[in-house]
Amino acid sequence: MQKKVKFIACTALLSTALTAVNASDLTKTYEMPDATKILEKDLLKPATTYTLPKSCNLNDTASIARGEYIFHNLNGDQAKDAPPEGIVKSIEKDGKKEPKQYGNCVACHNIEGAVGGGNIGPDLSNYKTYFIDTKIRDAQFVYQKIADPRIDNPATHMTVNLTTGLFDEQEICDLTAYVMSKK
Amino acid sequence: MKKVVLSVTLALMVATAGEQFAMSDADRAMYEEMLENNPADIFVAEGGEIFEEELGGEEALAKFLGIEENALPKYIATFPRYIEKLGNVVGVDQVLQAMMAEQGKEQIKLKDPKMFAILAYVKSLANDEQFNIDINANEHMKASYELGKQTFMTPRGGRGLSCNSCHNKDTIGLILRTQPLPDLAEAGAGATWPAYRMTKSSLRTLQRRFQGCMNNALMAVIPIGSKEMVGLELYVSKLAQDKQKAIAVPGLKR
Ligand code: HEC
Ligand code: HEC
Repeated sequence: MQKKVKFIACTALLSTALTAVNASDLTKTYEMPDATKILEKDLLKPATTYTLPKSCNLNDTASIARGEYIFHNLNGDQAKDAPPEGIVKSIEKDGKKEPKQYGNCVACHNIEGAVGGGNIGPDLSNYKTYFIDTKIRDAQFVYQKIADPRIDNPATHMTVNLTTGLFDEQEICDLTAYVMSKK
Repeated sequence: MKKVVLSVTLALMVATAGEQFAMSDADRAMYEEMLENNPADIFVAEGGEIFEEELGGEEALAKFLGIEENALPKYIATFPRYIEKLGNVVGVDQVLQAMMAEQGKEQIKLKDPKMFAILAYVKSLANDEQFNIDINANEHMKASYELGKQTFMTPRGGRGLSCNSCHNKDTIGLILRTQPLPDLAEAGAGATWPAYRMTKSSLRTLQRRFQGCMNNALMAVIPIGSKEMVGLELYVSKLAQDKQKAIAVPGLKR
């Protein structure tokens, strides 16, 4: 009898000891990977002011054609039509080939020839007639808007295209030329 | 001549109008059918089997959480929550991992479809319950909610977008390349995942869905189970709670 009690007491003690070990261990027993470094590297830089580069020729048809392609397509994998000269379909990053990203502006904007255009941003159809010829907007405004829309509207829902480094000055110039062109 | 042009324009308009909808008529019909018979049910049932057979089921879970078994549905509706013995605000999937560890079972990864299935089953135990998350319960909950909110609001990635760029009250219902932007609160996003994703033909979890949006928006994809992901889940679940959306798992999504 006594023996049995002792035995029970013993196992009870043992099992509490075991649970105690487990309990302190449990904080490390599940995945909780660190994401802070990934997020830090991915942060958007502050709003930046840009000037339309002198090199930007808004009447250059080749530039307008490139702008059109960047406007209407998402990336080099998704784009169906062959790109105009000067546009690549894939790039090398850290030794790996990946699709070149385009503007996908049509996701939010309707414009001439848009297929499945969105309406989160304003309709950019007839932009030259309504906004440029009327002097409501000029090239500098359009360039800045596309490069970094936060200067004009800090609470914008539009994508940031130059400050993020996704595009270079020439590509922003191409987009500007396309939006402002007569279509 | 004019007439021809007009009809061509009309045909074009119809074609583009069709593309404005997220679903074609055929897809919509399929959706209606799947509503009756969610393809995810089979995954959820499989998840249930693993949960019962390998982890000891509801009884073991209740014991692990230190609650009565019949309190389980209401308790599951409080996740993500702070679990003292785990030392963090966690999702149900992380609790399941800790159970696996404690029982000496081989651990299933958070991103494993098997884990999605078990999670779906366990979350479905709380079906018809409303969330009952207390974001002010303690410092841990406060911090997790704030981190989630911050993660939701912070613009980043190749296009400088935040979750809030697309999921805010001004853009709800607007069209992003043929997709209407959903209202995460009204859609009860927090309450309807894990769900069957028709376009992916698989069962996906809420955090896996977040990864999809990150990927589409060219944001760096953060791992499932990170503090930020749990915070995001908490934030989005609270949106559903504030609209009194009942938990309905598995959901069915386009
Ligand atoms: C995610 C949505 C979204 C995307 C993608 C987007 N835009 Fe916009 N865009 C907007 C919104 C919203 C506005 C309205 C002004 C604002 O909030 O900045 C706008 C405004 C503009 C304007 C100013 C119109 C005016 O005169 O007032 C131009 C030009 C423009 N966008 C061009 C582009 C180009 C080019 C791209 C692609 C590189 C693009 N947008 C991609 C949402 C978007
Ligand atoms: C560029 C726009 C955009 C961004 C940025 C974005 N989303 Fe989405 N999100 C969408 C669209 C469009 C859908 C609906 C897609 C569909 O129907 O397939 C969606 C769907 C969702 C859903 C599913 C809703 C449901 O019905 O259950 C969740 C959850 C979600 N988003 C969360 C997020 C989170 C979290 C982030 C940030 C990490 C984010 N989204 C960023 C556009 C966006």
